[in-house]
Parts: sequence; structure tokens; C-alpha cells
Amino acid sequence: MAMNSLRFVFRRFFRRTQLEKELNDELASHIAMEASLRMQEGESPEAARQAALRQFGNVELVAEVTRSKWGFTWLEQALNDVRYAARGFVRTPLFSAIVIATLALGIGSSTTIFSLLDGILLHSLPFTESKQLMILGELPPRTSKLNVVWMNNFVAWKERNRSFQSMAAFINLPINLVVDKTSEQVPGLGVTADFFSTLGTAPALGRTFRPGEYWTDEPHEAVLSYGAWQRLFDGAPDVIGKTISIVGKRQEIIGVMPPGFGLPDQTAELYLPLGIDLHDGRNYSVIARLRQGVSTDAANAEIGTLAAQTARENVEMNSGWSATAVPLLEHSVGPVRPALLVLFAAVGLVLLLACANVANLLLMRASGRSQEMSVRLALGASRNRILGQLLIESLLLAVCGGLLSVPLGWTALHLLKTSLPESLHIPRLNEVTLNMRVLLFSAGVSILSAVVFGLAPALQSLKRNVSEDLHESTRSVTSGRKVRRLLVMVEIALALVLVSGAGLTVRSFLRLASVNSGFHAENVLTARMLLLPVEKEEYRADRVKEMLDRIRAIPGVVAAGSIGILPMQDTNSGTWYYDANRPEPAPNARPEGDVSIITPGYFRAMRIPMIRGRDFGADDRVGVPAVAILNQTAARMLFPGEDPVGKRLKVWWTNTPTVEVVGVVADIRHGSLSTPPDPCLFMPNDQQPFPFTSLVVRTIGKPAGLVQAIREQIRMVDAEQGIAKIEEMQQMVSDSIARPRLEATVLTLFGMIALGLASIGLYGLIAFSVAQRAREIGIRVALGASRAGIFRMILGDGLRLTLIGGVAGLVAIAGLTRFIRSLLFEVQPLDPVTLVSVTCVLIVVSLLACYVPARRATKADPAAVLREE
Amino acid sequence: MAGPARYQNRIEILQGTLDLLILQTLARGGQHGHGISLAIRARSGEVLSVETGSLYPALHRLEKKGWLDSEWKVSDNNQRAKYYSLTKAGKKQLAAEQDRWRLLVEAVAGVLDPA
Repeated sequence: MAMNSLRFVFRRFFRRTQLEKELNDELASHIAMEASLRMQEGESPEAARQAALRQFGNVELVAEVTRSKWGFTWLEQALNDVRYAARGFVRTPLFSAIVIATLALGIGSSTTIFSLLDGILLHSLPFTESKQLMILGELPPRTSKLNVVWMNNFVAWKERNRSFQSMAAFINLPINLVVDKTSEQVPGLGVTADFFSTLGTAPALGRTFRPGEYWTDEPHEAVLSYGAWQRLFDGAPDVIGKTISIVGKRQEIIGVMPPGFGLPDQTAELYLPLGIDLHDGRNYSVIARLRQGVSTDAANAEIGTLAAQTARENVEMNSGWSATAVPLLEHSVGPVRPALLVLFAAVGLVLLLACANVANLLLMRASGRSQEMSVRLALGASRNRILGQLLIESLLLAVCGGLLSVPLGWTALHLLKTSLPESLHIPRLNEVTLNMRVLLFSAGVSILSAVVFGLAPALQSLKRNVSEDLHESTRSVTSGRKVRRLLVMVEIALALVLVSGAGLTVRSFLRLASVNSGFHAENVLTARMLLLPVEKEEYRADRVKEMLDRIRAIPGVVAAGSIGILPMQDTNSGTWYYDANRPEPAPNARPEGDVSIITPGYFRAMRIPMIRGRDFGADDRVGVPAVAILNQTAARMLFPGEDPVGKRLKVWWTNTPTVEVVGVVADIRHGSLSTPPDPCLFMPNDQQPFPFTSLVVRTIGKPAGLVQAIREQIRMVDAEQGIAKIEEMQQMVSDSIARPRLEATVLTLFGMIALGLASIGLYGLIAFSVAQRAREIGIRVALGASRAGIFRMILGDGLRLTLIGGVAGLVAIAGLTRFIRSLLFEVQPLDPVTLVSVTCVLIVVSLLACYVPARRATKADPAAVLREE
Repeated sequence: MAGPARYQNRIEILQGTLDLLILQTLARGGQHGHGISLAIRARSGEVLSVETGSLYPALHRLEKKGWLDSEWKVSDNNQRAKYYSLTKAGKKQLAAEQDRWRLLVEAVAGVLDPA
């Protein structure tokens, strides 16, 4: 019966007109039958019809009473309310459009930011039991910044630990591919035998490296990424067993990984075997999988204990060093977490503001509908029914806004993903989608916001006294006025918080962008590569020299040099060095610093000034005494108050050379614009040849036109030499601050939305109150108030709201400082310049919002207004 | 809307008995609204008369409760009409209403004629 009844309801609701027609037919057939009965008894057709009608009674009334027996279930009631609400909203299209657009904006931005949060922070990594995966790293003396690992320590951890079921080391490796006589360098990963088994991902084709082996002689095998398989072999299924030419050697392809496989912050195209070379320095990353039931804390503690053991066993390398284990997810997304959380909080405030604005609009609409509500109450609608009706109205608006927010959010996300520079390094951005979870979130937010913005108008309507409302005319309705004023003040406070956040990040970004890097990046082109191996190491330096000589001969090239690791990469080689005339310092008191291997011409190409002494020259070669140049910070550290030129240093570097300082060069910011210069020791590539080189070429004009010529000259030196990346230095500097730029841009966008919403709210409130107070204003004018006085009165009212809201906003900012601090560079969260200017902007904007209604008030003709009453 | 003189000796149908009368009438077979009202009037010896304003709301109410089914058919004298018939649940309900009615009659009789 319940089914029957439900079907009845649906049938009736969706075929209502059909049913009404049926009812009319039914009643008409009754009358027709009565009439024909009477005609059979001899009455004339007309008389019979009249009598039948008379006997039947009031057809409309019978129909009405019968219809009422159809009754309403709650579902039908709700559907009916939806129809009623929809009709109401269609009648006021501008109101509905503004409300729905506001909500779509609020919900859409929340959806976008949540999709980032979900894809990057919340979603588990695409590995089996990914929570068991941890990154192991060493901690240098006196710091807490995770460092790469010494191979000996990796071996010690691997053999001694009880916390992990498997452990592997890996290293970023540009791979020189020679395909069809053209060469290129693609990102690759050198991995120890257990790498794939630790991650637990099976290959899509073939096999991976066999776990449990230590390679001293690396097998000539390679595993392809899915992308490399597609790109290099067109996805041919018979790729297994083929060979691929890598730096003169031929590696056999043994497997292909499935699409999407890779560590979160790696883009490796190929995986090559990495042997255990115990003579190498700290160069390796380590990943490990926890044993079942071992907690991350326990594992971390054990690694700490093992590091203490190795520190005792090998004082020379390990003294003062500790080690730690960090969950893989934490390790890869940790750096972006604070920014994402700040953005999420900001978007939450935007949504709240949108809700406040909509609540305000609904309250205004409600005060126009007080008569309607009162009539309905008087006619016997229960308060619950009215409340239900209002709730349905709010839900309908929220659902419309929510539905509209999905394409909006999708577009925003798409724009975000496609417009960001590749170098931005937002981990896992490719995993971000509008998935089911995000859509559920969006739906939840829509419903929640309906409750938030629908609450005030609903409660307001219930406080209404029926008889009062029916008697009084609409002019003096002030119900909801206080709530509306409060809402507008909250809006202003929220807007101030958001605009301040925007102001702070923008100011911080401008600071960062105007930092003096110490070098001139414009018109500089860089070309990075791993140098191909040659029989004798010094030949490698000759290759670099030859490339540079050829490039210098290109017309338009002003200067050219090279450096091992370019600036703005957040990394450098590091070691320690000390005054050769003094005893070797204890391991925990070593003067540590960066090392850069350069060729003559690097400083000139980067326009880094020499402070003392000389640059490297062609004579600083193998066979003559080794030389070095210090930056100012290193000079101060090693020789405070002395002239370093002519001093000799012992350097912990390959072959531990003793070098003579021949010059001092100005500091630059090498790691990034935000990190102050570290001590740095420069040594010539001829004397300390380095496997990587980055050519640095200064040109007369824009360097982009010379890219081909430079490629050509490198190819002339060695046709097999691939280039990993050619990039303009200016772009690299710009990319290095892309993330703070993005944060500032998004927060500015939110701030502008907030300011817009708040000023619309303020404008609406003031305009509405001017309209409602037209009579009062008319009387004031009639009694002699000046128009300027009226203008000031209205403006003053708006200003009062702004100031109260503003003060509340400032108090809120004071409480929120610690959340935004991590995003700021050399700007305090309570930066007075920012806060004062933001407050001024807010006041100006709110005065503008009040200006139009205030002008309108002064234009009112008192006679006309009073006549209307 | 006072009825014509020839119906003056009819009496109002007792509250709550209309359902019983309708169900009982339909127990003999499907019938349309007009036919039901004629049947009730005829079988009560012209005493009981059902107002259309009570009949149609009752029919629609009983149909909603699932006791009646309805379909459009052509009547004997070639007129389209909506025919009602008892459902299974309707038959059960009829039995219950009959029991209730007998109980009521006995009770009222007992009050009127205390033996």
C-alpha cells in the first residue's frame, strides 16, 4: 500500500494537469448520465441538463473538495514548495541571479581549493600500503634540514635495521639518450636493486630489477617509464629485450612501468641500476618500507640510534650527524602544506562572506514579504510549514549555486593546472581532479551554506506577530534591521582579514622580487648537461673549454663561462675547508660551506664583481698550483679581518687539494632569493673537473635567438653530447619565486572578491535603509535639514558600520598571525604599512558604496515623499 | 441547493457510514460515481441520498488509501465514465467495516430497547 500511495503521489504530482482534467471529466460524466437518465424519463434535453446541474450542486466546490482529498505527503509538500519557491525566484530574476552567482563564486572557489587540498594533501600516494613508505635522510650538525645520505650509512642502515622490510637508495641522473643520431638528456633515476620492490609497484611489461642484490658491477639493464615507452618506442609491445643507447653503453630494456608511476616529486623517464660505491660522498636519497605493525615513530627512533652508532664508528664523516625518517607523503607535500591550508582558510572566509551577503539579500526580500508570510500564518499555515518553505527556498538557491559552481571550479582548476610553470614544483598537481570526493564536498558545502544563510531570514520570519504585521503598512518594518547591520559588519571584518592577507603576501612577494640577487640575470642563457665520460678526466674540462671558445665566437655573445650547479636551484655542493696553516678543526667545528666549480668567464657572464685579487685564467690548469676564489661570506668566515688573497686552504674535495686563494668575489644569493648567501669556495674546472656543467652565456640583446647557434656549437664539439635544459637565467629567477607569486595572486583574487562582496552588502544595506527612511528623510528636509546634512548622515551611518567591522577585522588578524607567517618573506604578519593601507582602501571602498544611496537620499523631493503616504 | 421536493424524506448519511456504503455497493461489481449514488438511493428505498460533494471526495480518498481501483470505461448506454472497483485491501476493509457496523447497530439497539 505504501508503494501504491507513493506511486499515487508521484503520478499526481507530475501529471497534475492530467489528473485535474480527469476529475473534471469524471464530474461531467456524472452530470451527463444524470441528464440522459432524466431524458429517458421524458424531460426535454435542456430541462434535463438544467436539472442535472442543479442536482449536482456547485461543480467547482465538489472538485475543490475532492482535490483536497488527494492530500499532501511531506514529499509532495516539499516538491510543491520547490515549485512555489522556483516560481518566486523566476519572478525576481535579478535578485535570483545575484544570489546564485554569489553562491556559485563562493562554493566554486571552495571546490577548487579543496580539490587541491584533496589531491595533494589528503589523497594517499599511488603505491600499495603507501603509508608504510618513508624517506630516510641525514641531519647535518646543528641543523634540522634533511640532507642526502652517504652510501656507507645507507648500507649500515639497510643491514642493521629491524623496522623496515626493504630499503633502497636512488639518485637523480640526467640520462644522455642517443636516438636517431640526435642526442638529448632526459631526467632519470639511478636506483639500487630493491627500489621497485620497496615501492611495491609491478611493471606494466617485463620485469624490474631483482631485489636483494648489491651491484658492484652494474648490469646493463634499464626500466622505462610509461611516457618514455610511448615517446621513444611508440608503445611497441615487443620493446622488452631491445637495447637503448645511453652514454656510449647499450642498456637492455627489461621492463616498462605503468602510467603515473613515479615518486611524487620526480619525473624520471628511465630507471638505471645504481651500484654501491662506498667511496662516494653524501649524494643519495633513501626510501624504505616499514614492516607490518611498526610505527613511524619507532622507525624514526631506530634510525636515530643507528645514526648514533655510525657517528661513533666513522668520526671523520659522521661526527655530529644524525638521521631521521619522514613519511613519504609528508616529505613530498610538507613544503606546500602551510600555503594550501592558508588558501583553504581564506576560501572558507570567502564562502562565509558570500553566505552573509546572501543572508542579507534574503532578509531584505523577507521584509518585503512580511505581509505574504503573515497572511499565510493567518490562514492557518503552521510555523513549521513556513520554516520548511523558507528552508526549501534557501536549499533551492544553494543547489543552483552548487550546480553552477562545478563548471566554475573545473574551469578554475583547469586554468590553474595549465597556466602554472612546470618549474613551480607543486607536488602531485597532476593527481588533482574534481573527483567524487570533491563533488561530495561541494554538495556538502552547498547544503551547509544554505543552512548558514537561510537561518537568519527563517528565524526572523518566525518572530513576526501576525496581527501587527497585517495592520501596519510596510513603511515602518524594521524587523531584521539589526541582523542585517550585524551581517554587514561581519562582512567588512572578513573582507578586511582577506584583503590584509592579500596585502601581506603581495608585499612579501614584492620584497622577494626586489631582493638584490648579486648577479644580473637579464640577457643570460644557460645550458645544463651531464658531461659524457671520456678516457681521462681532464679531457672533460677540455670539452667544456672548447664549447665555451666556440660559443664566445658567436656574434652577439658578450661573455661565456660555466658553473657546476646553477643558482636558483635551491641546491649546491657542500663540504668543508680550513686554513691550511692551522691544525685540522675537530669534526664538530668544521667550517662548512658551498663549493662551486667554474670556468673563467663565469663571473663576467653573471656580472658578479671581483672584490680583491683576480679571476681564474687559462693558466690555472692541471700541473700548476691549485687555486681558489672565495665569496665575501667565506672570506669573513675563514679570515676575519685579514686579506685572504695569498692564503692557502685545505679543501675536503676529491683528492683533498690544498689551494691558494687568488681572489675574493662579491656575494650572490645562490640557493634562492630568500636565502642569504652561504660561504662559497670557487675552484676552476680545469683543476677540479666536475661531471656536470652549466654553460652561462651573456648576450647583447634577448638571448632567445641564440639558442640554435649554441646547440649547434655544442653538437660540433661532440655530436653525442645531449643537453638537459636550455633556459634563460631571468626565467629561472622568476620561476624560483613562482610559488609566492601564485599565493599572492590567489589571495589577491580572494581579497578582491571579498571586498566586492562586502561593498555590495554595504551598498545594499544603505540603499535599502535610504528607501525605507524616505519618509523620515522627507520630514527632515521639510523641517529644514540641509541636503549636505542628510548626505553626511547617510555616509556617517555607512562609515560607522565600516569602522566597527574594520576594528573587529583587525582584532581577528591579530589572532591569525601565526597561520600566515610561514608564507611571508621579511614582512611581519602585523606589518603596519600593509594594515594601514588596507584599512584605508576598505574605508574608501565603503564610502564609495554609500555614496550612491546617499546622493539619492539628498535628491528626494520631500513633498513627493510625504504625499505618497 | 436544497433538493427537489420528491427527495424530502431522505435522511443524511451517518458520518462514517459512507465508506461502508460505497464499499458494499462496489462489492457487487465495478461501478461509476453516478451509478453508485443511484444504487445507494435505490437499495435504501429512496431513503439514503449521497451528495456529490461527499461522494467524490470519498471515492478519491478511498482510492488513495488503496481500497479502490479505477479505470475509464464506456457505460451500457455508450457514455465514457470512470469505473471504480474493490481492491484486495478494499475487500478486507469492507469486512472490517461490516463488523464495525453490526457492532454499532447492536449497541444502538441495546440502548434503544433495554431488555
